[in-house]
Amino acid sequence: MKKIFAAYLLLLTLVLSACIFDSDETVMAGWLSDQGIPGGYSVQTLSVENLTPLSSEVFLDSAPSLANDRAVLGKAANISHDLVFDIAFYDSVFFADLKKSDSATAYMALYVLSPFYSSKSYPSDSLPLKEDLTLNISWKLDKGASKSFVDSIGDISDSLWLSSLSKWKADSSVDTTVSISVSAKDSVMKISLPSALLTAMKELSRACHLQLRLSAPEAARTYRFYGAGTSLYPKLWVSFPKEKSYSEYDPFRMAHIVSNKESCSDCLVLHGGVYDSLVVEYEGAPIMKALSDFYGDEFPYMADDGDDVRQTVVLAQMTFARDDSQGTSELGLPIQVVVGSYTDSAGKSVRQMEAYKLNKSLIASKGHPNMVFYEGDSLTLQVTYGLRDFINRARDGRTFKMMMRLGYPVLQPKDSSYSDHVTSKKDTSYVFFSHFDHARYDFSSAMKQPSTLKLWLANKRGDK
Amino acid sequence: MKKIILVLFALAVCSFASVIGLDALGEEQVAGGMASTAGRGYAGGAKTGDAEGLSVLNPARNAFDTKVVFNVNFLIEMVSLENHGDNFGVNNITMPSFNLSFPMGGFGAMGLSLWQSYASNLNEEVSNGKNSLETTIEYQSSVYEIVPSYTFRLPVIRNFSVGASAHVVMGNSMRKISMGPNTEGLSSEDTWAVSNAEISDYVDGTWEIKNHPAYYTAALQYRGHQSSFYFSYTTPHTLLNELDYNFRMSELDTLAPTKRSREIDVPAMLAAGMNFRFMKRNNVMFDIAARGWDKDIENIGGSFNMESVTETQKDMLLALGFQRDGSPMFYDPYLDRVTYRLGGWYKTWYVKDVYELGGSLGAGFPLGRKGTTLDLSFQGGKRFADSGRGWDEIFLGFRIGLMGVGNWGQTR
Repeated sequence: MKKIFAAYLLLLTLVLSACIFDSDETVMAGWLSDQGIPGGYSVQTLSVENLTPLSSEVFLDSAPSLANDRAVLGKAANISHDLVFDIAFYDSVFFADLKKSDSATAYMALYVLSPFYSSKSYPSDSLPLKEDLTLNISWKLDKGASKSFVDSIGDISDSLWLSSLSKWKADSSVDTTVSISVSAKDSVMKISLPSALLTAMKELSRACHLQLRLSAPEAARTYRFYGAGTSLYPKLWVSFPKEKSYSEYDPFRMAHIVSNKESCSDCLVLHGGVYDSLVVEYEGAPIMKALSDFYGDEFPYMADDGDDVRQTVVLAQMTFARDDSQGTSELGLPIQVVVGSYTDSAGKSVRQMEAYKLNKSLIASKGHPNMVFYEGDSLTLQVTYGLRDFINRARDGRTFKMMMRLGYPVLQPKDSSYSDHVTSKKDTSYVFFSHFDHARYDFSSAMKQPSTLKLWLANKRGDK
Repeated sequence: MKKIILVLFALAVCSFASVIGLDALGEEQVAGGMASTAGRGYAGGAKTGDAEGLSVLNPARNAFDTKVVFNVNFLIEMVSLENHGDNFGVNNITMPSFNLSFPMGGFGAMGLSLWQSYASNLNEEVSNGKNSLETTIEYQSSVYEIVPSYTFRLPVIRNFSVGASAHVVMGNSMRKISMGPNTEGLSSEDTWAVSNAEISDYVDGTWEIKNHPAYYTAALQYRGHQSSFYFSYTTPHTLLNELDYNFRMSELDTLAPTKRSREIDVPAMLAAGMNFRFMKRNNVMFDIAARGWDKDIENIGGSFNMESVTETQKDMLLALGFQRDGSPMFYDPYLDRVTYRLGGWYKTWYVKDVYELGGSLGAGFPLGRKGTTLDLSFQGGKRFADSGRGWDEIFLGFRIGLMGVGNWGQTR
């Protein structure tokens, strides 16, 4: 009986709800409208012309980094790339043989990064790469005897080792010339090591720690190799011709050290494949004035606690003048410009990488607007997060600051997916080339010309 | 009990509530929203007895109690909004109050209530047809009060009692309106930038009383052989609603909210009531409560074209009720042990030009022999919004109260 009563009550409620209290969305929309709630927020665009940077500066992170995956040696775009190999020896027989031998020779074998050189995107007519490479080979040799000595080398953390390389002081160094020929994929570059190194090693008996650095600051180009963490890792060969024997050692880690060889210290040059960035700062006043003229309200917002939420930026983009003749690239492909903005995080300014919203019709007709080395004379970068934060907190007189750097080369500049993807035919469509171009792009003249900020602003002010 | 919970849950899925005054304070839970009181049209503040429980308007009533009373209430309200023949339903379920009172013999009686005095609740999605994103409107605001009270019978004139209660206000408020862009003002080549860009106008905050821990009610009760009366006075106070405003694209948005406070001057309230008992177990009762609002209420947010203030008027409740008490004898027929209630009320809201006419029917079903009662009440009526942007509302309310009466702490 109770069950029937409960079921009856439930049914009665459902029927009442359905029949008497029907929710009609059209009527609901009418009620919302009567309450002054629109069906969609009002959105308008605002262009702020003639913005010139308050300051612009380039930064290059020259701290050594691990090169266990891909390694680069040489010089391109006024950046030289050195390699350091970390090798441990624990082999008393080898040292005994070395001490006895008067004809031993040693060389490093570096395996060329064949996916790069054999790629369709690499200009094959530039192969073979031939050069008499002027090379500086320097090393540090630490003597040891026990297994614990060798273990202690492995105990040195990567970060500590990389940090020690910043203060590189070699025990000895030798300048040499190596004849290079990279003709096709699977090439091995053989770099003879100086006899002075072997002579120094002959003084040892059981264990040692060798840190070997290769520098080629005069090289005509960069050369790319597999790193120590790959299956085609570099090898150090010591050959004993008379004995017809050899020993092979491999570095357990590698480091990549870049140094800036730009002669113009004031130039705003970005390079591909290295950690450098161009930071541009804009005064807030012109943007505030444009907003004030647009809305007829006070900007920056000073009422209440001054954090402005009267409107919000749905999208913001900055357009710069562009002159590709001010740059050089290795592959001849367009290169994306990656952008970030400085935003507030709990009172601290942090760099936030920007999202990129796709303007598909523009991309299909003209390609992505955020590329250099491409047709057109402008560069448009989206800085939505930065402008949202800037307008929100402009009361304290802050500036708007953004950062840009060169990203990956673009294989399909008119593909609006903007990421590698699988096509309907189950083929992989690569939008980006997965190797950086050691390009150089000078933004000096672009930053001297006025740029334009375009804002899409959502507004919650009522009709005036 | 499982079945009751099942039914409650089912009702919660398809239930509705008032949207008048959403941006001000919301809907008032009159008289603590007790199911038993609501069953007789909110009348009966002067009626004494262990089965009545605590009254938030009349803290002097419990001085005559001899037993501990615990009472919890649920409300499911269904509202149909009407305007020029159009109507739609909105929904809500709340727990307006729970109350505990315990008598201490010659030391008077103490009580403690948790009362949701005002609430704004709405959660609706509306497709506007202009873009693919729906407009979502969500209100969740509750002014909660913790109300400790104390009452005692006067030493010589034992038919009189005085009582006082403190209303410690707390609670939170949230309003979120999410919508897509209106691209009418954009050129076609600029619309790509706002596609699927949903933005929320978001406000949240807390409730408290400005510069004071509580506001207070004092009451005088007379219990006669047949007639009982009460009179109470509630102090004016200022509600402080500290709010954070944002206009954000997602919950992860890092924009700094604007902080702002709104202050609502709630005027003093006078309440009075009488209960006349006749033919042993029959009662008629009449209550009146009035609060003379004299200032507009600043709304939670005047975004878009929404009103920035809610205009007020004198808020008054006139309630008339009848109750036939159930027999206390457990061996009497069950239907004779059931308490029957009937009532009606007229109420002017604090919102200008809004008044309400309602009627109710209720019953208290005794559960077992220990004095536990399940109170049910059905209410219906209409709220008239004669001006401004409000729509008329037809409402049906269903309230459930569970009252436990015990000899806790008593000695024979």
